[in-house]
Amino acid sequence: MAVPEPPRRLLGGRIPYIDGPLKVTGRAEYTDDLRRPGQLVGRILRSPYAHARILSIDTAAAERMPGVHAVLVGSDYPIPFGVLPITHDETALAVGKTRYIGDMVAAVAADSEGTAEEALRAIRVEVERLPEHLDPDAGTRPVAEPIHARGLNGTNVQKEVLQHFGDVDRAFREAAVSVAVHGNYAGVTHAFTEPLVTLAEATPDGRLTVWSATQVPHYLHRSLSEVLGVPMHRIRVIKPEVGGGFGGKSDPLPHEIVCAALALRTGRAVKILCDREDVFLTNHGRHPTRNEVRIAAAADGTLLAYDIDAVIDGGAWSSFGVVTTYYNGVLSMGPYRVPNFRYRGRRVYTNKPPSGAMRAHGGTNLRYSIEVALDELAERLRIDPFDLRSHNALPPNSTTVNGFRITSTSFRACLAAARERSGWDAKFRKLPFGRGVGLGCGFYISGSNSPIHFTPKMPQCTVHLKADMDGGIAVHSMQADIGQGSNTLLAAIVAEVLGVDLERVHVVRVDSDISPVDIGSYSSRVTFMMGNAARRAAEALRALLLRAARDLTGYPVEQLRMGHECVEVAHRPEIRVGFLEVLHKAMERTGALQTSGAYTSPPMGGTHKGARAGTAPAYSFAAYVAEVEVDAETGQYRAEKIWAAFDCGRALNRLAVEGQIEGSIHMGLGQFVGEAMTYRGPRLLNPSLLEYKIPMPGQMPEVEVLLVGDDDPEGPFGAKEAGEGPLIATLPALGNALYDAIGVRFLDLPVTPEKVLRGLDRRRAEGRSWKGG
Amino acid sequence: MAERRELSFRLNGHPRTVPCADERLLLDLLREDLEMTGTKRGCDLGTCGCCAVLIDGRPSLSCLTLARRIEGREITTIEGLTPPSGLSPLQKAFVAAGATQCGFCTPGFIVAASALLAATPHPTREQVVAALGGNLCRCTGYTKIIEAVQAAGSP
Amino acid sequence: MHLDPFTLHRPTSLQEAIDRAGALAGRCDFLAGGTDLLPNYKMHLNLRPHLIDLGGVPELSGFGEGRIGAMVRLADLEADPRFARDYPGVVEAIRSVATPLVRAGASVGGNLLVETRCFFFNQSRLWRESLGYCLKAEGDRCHVVPQKERCYATFSGDLAPALLVLGATAEIAGPGGIRRVPLAELYDAQGDGIHRTRLQPGEILVAVHLPPAARGARASYRKLRIRPSFDFPEVGIAAALFGTPDRIERLALAAGGLESYPRLFPELTEAVAGGALEPAVLDRLAAGVQRSVRPVHNTSLEAAYRKRMAGVFARRALAALADPPAPAPGAAP
Ligand SMILES: Cc1cc2nc3c(=O)[nH]c(=O)nc-3n(C[C@H](O)[C@H](O)[C@H](O)COP(=O)(O)OP(=O)(O)OC[C@H]3O[C@@H](n4cnc5c(N)ncnc54)[C@H](O)[C@@H]3O)c2cc1C
Ligand code: SF4
Ligand code: FES
Ligand code: FES
Repeated sequence: MAVPEPPRRLLGGRIPYIDGPLKVTGRAEYTDDLRRPGQLVGRILRSPYAHARILSIDTAAAERMPGVHAVLVGSDYPIPFGVLPITHDETALAVGKTRYIGDMVAAVAADSEGTAEEALRAIRVEVERLPEHLDPDAGTRPVAEPIHARGLNGTNVQKEVLQHFGDVDRAFREAAVSVAVHGNYAGVTHAFTEPLVTLAEATPDGRLTVWSATQVPHYLHRSLSEVLGVPMHRIRVIKPEVGGGFGGKSDPLPHEIVCAALALRTGRAVKILCDREDVFLTNHGRHPTRNEVRIAAAADGTLLAYDIDAVIDGGAWSSFGVVTTYYNGVLSMGPYRVPNFRYRGRRVYTNKPPSGAMRAHGGTNLRYSIEVALDELAERLRIDPFDLRSHNALPPNSTTVNGFRITSTSFRACLAAARERSGWDAKFRKLPFGRGVGLGCGFYISGSNSPIHFTPKMPQCTVHLKADMDGGIAVHSMQADIGQGSNTLLAAIVAEVLGVDLERVHVVRVDSDISPVDIGSYSSRVTFMMGNAARRAAEALRALLLRAARDLTGYPVEQLRMGHECVEVAHRPEIRVGFLEVLHKAMERTGALQTSGAYTSPPMGGTHKGARAGTAPAYSFAAYVAEVEVDAETGQYRAEKIWAAFDCGRALNRLAVEGQIEGSIHMGLGQFVGEAMTYRGPRLLNPSLLEYKIPMPGQMPEVEVLLVGDDDPEGPFGAKEAGEGPLIATLPALGNALYDAIGVRFLDLPVTPEKVLRGLDRRRAEGRSWKGG
Repeated sequence: MAERRELSFRLNGHPRTVPCADERLLLDLLREDLEMTGTKRGCDLGTCGCCAVLIDGRPSLSCLTLARRIEGREITTIEGLTPPSGLSPLQKAFVAAGATQCGFCTPGFIVAASALLAATPHPTREQVVAALGGNLCRCTGYTKIIEAVQAAGSP
Repeated sequence: MHLDPFTLHRPTSLQEAIDRAGALAGRCDFLAGGTDLLPNYKMHLNLRPHLIDLGGVPELSGFGEGRIGAMVRLADLEADPRFARDYPGVVEAIRSVATPLVRAGASVGGNLLVETRCFFFNQSRLWRESLGYCLKAEGDRCHVVPQKERCYATFSGDLAPALLVLGATAEIAGPGGIRRVPLAELYDAQGDGIHRTRLQPGEILVAVHLPPAARGARASYRKLRIRPSFDFPEVGIAAALFGTPDRIERLALAAGGLESYPRLFPELTEAVAGGALEPAVLDRLAAGVQRSVRPVHNTSLEAAYRKRMAGVFARRALAALADPPAPAPGAAP
């Protein structure tokens, strides 16, 4: 447009969430708040065996019980599904084998909870126990009775990735110094506060409606159709308010399919509400991981090579595993320039609950090992950790050795801000024994360039707008607001482009009957992709309005622009026509105005196998400093403060970006200090919010958010992601701070007080002193 | 199911009499029988605080309270803490601070915080942290929740 | 999670409660705040078809003059300024229990009689079925210390140690009338760990009594837990000093969260009477506690760590009694 745009009214400021009033009053509707007439209770029988062949299932007694309306077993719906089209290995209910304690075996729909549970207890399952595979390392070798027939060469390896760029061996030979770390990471889980829940209703018109706590309604829609054999257009998927997801509601999950199947069977509405143990067992949490990271560097600290090996515990199913396996290597390719890179990653099935995508998927454990190794490298080379990182920072508009396209990066600015605000130079190695600061950095994709599930070829994201005579603007989109505030941003972008007040714009609940397809909330894609699509849809609507304004004012379109709730003449803003008048004029020929905007990421990435994994239209960068205080007598410690410098491009809603950073730090803190899926054998010891230790307010450090990003060239209004990247740097900042505090490295997460105390004992026994301690 | 006998209590200022079985929990009574769904079910075991309601003004866990126990008492839920139009000052503070993300924990936090503010109109940060010790939030890191409660309680 | 049906009885006098329990012998549980019992019922742990609600029994309510009714809510005690002044150690312990939302319902009696805890017990039916039921519920062996006689589930109440060090006594009513026993004798050190107290079937804890000397005594409670709220004690140590730090008349130390019952350490503390509360004494007592306790690994933190922390927390609890509180041994190793 030729005319100058008016200053932004909303974007870049602090925009309170538009659904805030509904949430603070308890009026926001989540799936379990919905009820349909004649609704039945669905319940699922879970396997008490980690690995067993199912010989027979006798459901006769359950079916005869008064009040029981349907009983299902695996053979009723045997078609496999899974989030990735290439690894469909899950079934709605176990077929032939059970693969972990908690695997779903049978399901009932009944009048009441009590009857449903009684019916489950009346189902007789006869099994033959099979050897249990629990150790992923052992699973890399051929085993008797592998968990899946699809394991590689008779092993339990689900996916192996081998990549080599440059010449790593030579780089190590020629390097002045190299470091190696071995990381060990317990599995962690999303633990959203809203349990998993699905409501499904079959109606006599042949349609099936499914309300579910999901962050990817479209993948659920596809899976329902595939497994149930009902065409997609006869299934309607609705996403009510969702009480947190963090990746845990992104796989289509078996209970969702079972619920819909029970609705089909009974011709009624059925709800399955998971209890907390169910959630822990159904969840696809962050993979337990062992990795080895070797780094070679020149004497001046220039990084020469990474050599990475990871063994990832996949649990019983594939889930996102292929992506996970790539990510655990390739997400090392920023924020530093690394000219030589080798990676071997293996994801191994075990007889444990499945692992999948969790916030900062694939980037978290890998990054911890790298950043601790860099801290070690800096120490060996006597280079300040900030200087080491700054020296190696990827420049803007560069390409990584494996072909990632880096456009905007403000990583150096992140480093500078964190260093200055934290008072680093006065603190590092200078605080008294027991107190320390540490630096950790981060790098994450801003929207996966390759949609998982997209045939036929279509845009990754589409937004529809409808403006009608009431003057309201309805926004239709299938991105899923799961608490991150994407609906607010969607409305704000539309309002910004059209110059109208936010309250004119209403985001319509995700409903596959009316919302244009979008692949949902994962891979930190929403702001970037939905934002661009929304902007385009709004610009298309604006074009219609400006044309109508031309007819009303006589000024050419080129001289008109949207003012606040009006169209105005750019150089004479006192000449204006009210929004409603313009809208009604524009509607004269067509009735309600409807526009559409779409986004597809540009082609990118190399041509090698797996080249698309990790490519994204933009990347976020982070540099965090943590300050910790250790009680050397008990091994307990506290994170006192975190300075979080983050590059999300332009922060469009600072309130939401801060919220994402604070929440990410809380989640990262949890994984560092104590959250863990703890097993004894195949049994998850702590499937409860009492024993799975999510940090409480008293454990939160003070957080100082430092937003330093420059506008991204392709992001909507210059924005990039802030939903997952902010988690990653938290963990290494804490780990390196502990080292600064007490001189002990921790590579076995979570870092419990027992481990801290053992570390101190070991150091003392070895006679190594540290800062006088 | 055990027999259902009548149960009388006051709910958000109004007398109610409903049939209720002995083993019925207050949370189920509210959500399932009375369709008061503002009170949330996060864990059912006392470990999240999403189900908090006021019983005679005291914040309590409805998932661990037998409904029979509220005979003759006054129950205030999130619905009862909301004015007929608009929002309470505490609710406004939550919205302004961005203290809601997914919002599932929010009713429980509002219930606990409103009781705190009723007893201690201008709480210190430590008092806020202590009073919210039974409410879990997985989204916000609590930062903006604490900020909101303090803002609502600032003189 | 719904509850399996039961019949709820709501007696309005102590006698009625005792009679009801007598008539339902073996088929009933008492319900106080329910914050311990109901989660266990939801997990299908040792269900009984009848619950006797103690909430309407006037004899169990109220506190003052050294008497605390068993049904007094923890939230009421902690909110009472006079109680906090008179019994600071007890209030410290109360504030460390669970969360404010739990304490609103939780009673003093329920806290003293709280079910012991174990990773292999506090689990769903599916979970326990998958491993094989254990001695404490429906099974015949122990998964922590494999044998067939004794349960090692951990006593995890916070109040017991704090009341034990003050010399509390328990008032118990049953078919045979009312009896008063030292609180320590409520717990069965010789028992099988399954029946966690010496209460006879149908007996009701009516109140705890604190001797006059307990009022205003220096007392403290130190709790090891992973998070600042929610978590049960992994170690809970109470200490009380009668006399002054310069001249100990009597010193008491008690521990919870470590074994299947809470206990005092008279064999350690009697020896220090007459002396001063000086660092060497603190060290000796702390080492004694650490040596004496025998935790098993059935809670979140490792047993060896909890044992070591019993010493550290004992020393901290004792140090808090000094005037001014003795500094912790240098944070430096
Ligand atoms: C999330 C969570 C965290 C917790 N954390 C802690 C903690 O940190 N520390 C802690 O100490 N506790 C904790 N608890 C356990 C419990 O809440 C407290 O111990 C509480 O004080 C129990 O009291 P109550 O009145 O609710 O007991 P109830 O559940 O009513 O009763 C407990 C047991 O005692 C019996 N009983 C109760 N009163 C009497 C009586 N007068 N006579 C005879 N028998 C009786 C009951 O039959 C039952 O077996 C926690 C509970 C939850 C849900
Ligand atoms: S200690 Fe042994 S018997 Fe006791 S609850 Fe635990 S597993 Fe069961
Ligand atoms: S639902 Fe009651 S505390 Fe979680
Ligand atoms: S806002 Fe989601 S749990 Fe608190």
